Amino acid sequence: MDKNEKLVFDVIVVGAGLSGSAAAAIAARGGLKVAVIERGQNPGSKNYFGGALYTHSLMEIYPDFWDRKPPLERPVTETGFWFLSTDGLVKATVQGGKVNSNPIDAYVALRAKFDAWWAEQAQKEGAFIIPKTLVVDFIRENGKVVGVKTDRDQGDIYAPVVIITEGVNNLLTQKLGLAKHDLKGESSALAVKQLISLPAATINARFGLTDNDHGAALSVMGDVSMGLPGLGFLYTGVDCVSVGVGVTLEALREAGIKPYELLQRYMNHPMIAPLIAGGRLMEYGAHIIPEGGWSTMPQLYTDGVMVAGDAASMVNALHWEGTNMAIVAGKSAAETAIEAHQKKDFSAQSLSSYRARLDKRFIMKDLRQYRNLSHFLKTHPDFMAIYPTFLNDALGMFFTGFGKPKGQLYKDILKSLTSRRPLLKAVGDIVAFGRTIIGI
Amino acid sequence: MFHALVSIKQVPDTTNIRIDPETNNLIRQGVPTILNPYDAHAVAAAVEWKRKLGGKVTIITMGPPAAVTSLRECIEMGADRAILISARQFAGADTWATSYVLAEVINEIHSKDPVSLVFFGKQAIDGDTAQVGPGVAVRMDLPVVSYAVKIREVNLEEHYVIIERKTESRNEVIKTSLPTALTCEKDIAEIPYASLPDLVYSLRYEPEVWNAESPITFDPAQLGLKGSPTTVFKTGTPEKHSAGEVFKVTEVGLDGVVKTALDKILAVEGMASMLGVQK
Repeated sequence: MDKNEKLVFDVIVVGAGLSGSAAAAIAARGGLKVAVIERGQNPGSKNYFGGALYTHSLMEIYPDFWDRKPPLERPVTETGFWFLSTDGLVKATVQGGKVNSNPIDAYVALRAKFDAWWAEQAQKEGAFIIPKTLVVDFIRENGKVVGVKTDRDQGDIYAPVVIITEGVNNLLTQKLGLAKHDLKGESSALAVKQLISLPAATINARFGLTDNDHGAALSVMGDVSMGLPGLGFLYTGVDCVSVGVGVTLEALREAGIKPYELLQRYMNHPMIAPLIAGGRLMEYGAHIIPEGGWSTMPQLYTDGVMVAGDAASMVNALHWEGTNMAIVAGKSAAETAIEAHQKKDFSAQSLSSYRARLDKRFIMKDLRQYRNLSHFLKTHPDFMAIYPTFLNDALGMFFTGFGKPKGQLYKDILKSLTSRRPLLKAVGDIVAFGRTIIGI
Repeated sequence: MFHALVSIKQVPDTTNIRIDPETNNLIRQGVPTILNPYDAHAVAAAVEWKRKLGGKVTIITMGPPAAVTSLRECIEMGADRAILISARQFAGADTWATSYVLAEVINEIHSKDPVSLVFFGKQAIDGDTAQVGPGVAVRMDLPVVSYAVKIREVNLEEHYVIIERKTESRNEVIKTSLPTALTCEKDIAEIPYASLPDLVYSLRYEPEVWNAESPITFDPAQLGLKGSPTTVFKTGTPEKHSAGEVFKVTEVGLDGVVKTALDKILAVEGMASMLGVQK
């Protein structure tokens, strides 16, 4: 190769995360010359999540996914909610039955390992990955994007279509005017987590898992976030446990609480501490999650550009979906790019079929349906604190009310609710929550 | 013509390394590998002088096929040619056997394309021996300047180089004839941030691969484990030092602090007699 040759590709993907590498793989498989520009030392080095990946999305990119020996941790064979009071815990988890599908629907993963592998698969399809390079701006001709500028000398790369999968801090998306504003504190959660190393046998015993081929993914509500609207989580790896908590940036700022204090308190909770006792800290990290979904979603395409993944707010906070949306959206963007090359038309009009593709899938349907979720949580700040505590009280009283007149028992249970929230308001909360998730 | 040769090593990123407390072996599983940081600075220095004087930079490494990544990183910094010396027979080499192979390779390159300077990092961060650079120099009968922090002058007409080296007490300035070997500290040069075309070129670069038979034939008896006289009897993790005791002047007074500390020191068995103090 001549070093002075102008760098021209059919498509440029900005960011080698889950969405970017999926887009790159599909575009390369479709015969396009693909460049993926990644700012990290390696793909995966800047990526972080709870978390679990969803099998359907992985297999949608690679039908032979399992033959490729993906670096996953445990399958999720038990999942659900844990509700914490200050000193108690109610578990509502499910295992077996529909969770015991073939293949299992979700797998715990570590992103540093997985994303590196995920990018390698795209490379095998023919994508060219350029690491350690930051995209800082676009090259425009006649008002249309025809490439990107990087932070390196002679750093211009050309392509008629650019897929932006830059992640939550979507500066490029903002630069194009597709996102009208910077991240908003009220709809951006800061999740902090520790990865704790423990022997696999200890994890199996503490989480009640049969063997290393069983794993748990748990959303923890209630007394996890010092009264702030937030969620805790627990995921079991093969010989490590992810333990973390996420709260909106705005709530953290208003309460003046530091993220590590929040996590430390959660990890010291009497129901959580024994699960990780004696473990060694392997990793400490934090990441912002764009929980605004529909309400903060940028315009998804313009002349020569499409946006996917976290950069496009593709997160369903209640169902912990985001990675699957990112992957499927990356694929849809790549399919649109292939089509645009066939038509030789890279205008917004031509790329609008990207949006049409997403509209048909769970991505737009769900995000639209849950569009009021972040508003609901903002207007019902104690929703996540009151009800888990009540649930602990109610079940605790129900199962210990021996030798008491049961009429009195039920009155006590009701009182433990109404002392926290007047009955009418509680009914109002439930109705409002119901309306929020149904999407009306 | 200026021809710099840099010998590099791909190493596990020791900031991530752990030692298995049972077996005392390094846990290499899942530990990312990197270009040895001192070597990276040596490459940077070689490239810097190539840019000043013209000429070229050749990189060599002995290691597994995965070391190609580190060679590409050197090309990214501006090196011109990279050679991977890789074969099963080389596996398990200690610093003695390694310096044999590297010296043979450098001699071969030198015979076709005379080398002015042979760069090494001061040591690799995995083994920390600092033996390979000087070992190669001795085998090649080259002068060697270790712990180099600055190259002041390279004079190709008059065949000399002036190098500053660090010692514990001061810096020494050494003038020596070319070719010479040097082992580099990080101060020797800043790592450059490559241009995009250089980066792209490096990502596509395929290094030459040399093995035990071709293009040069090595003496099998001097290779790998067989050629390595080093025997490791035992390795271990040093004990962690616990925090020292604190005696506060504000609580027990200066005399109190001195007296308590002295008592503690003298209470250590054998200490009093060693210091010649009567208890």
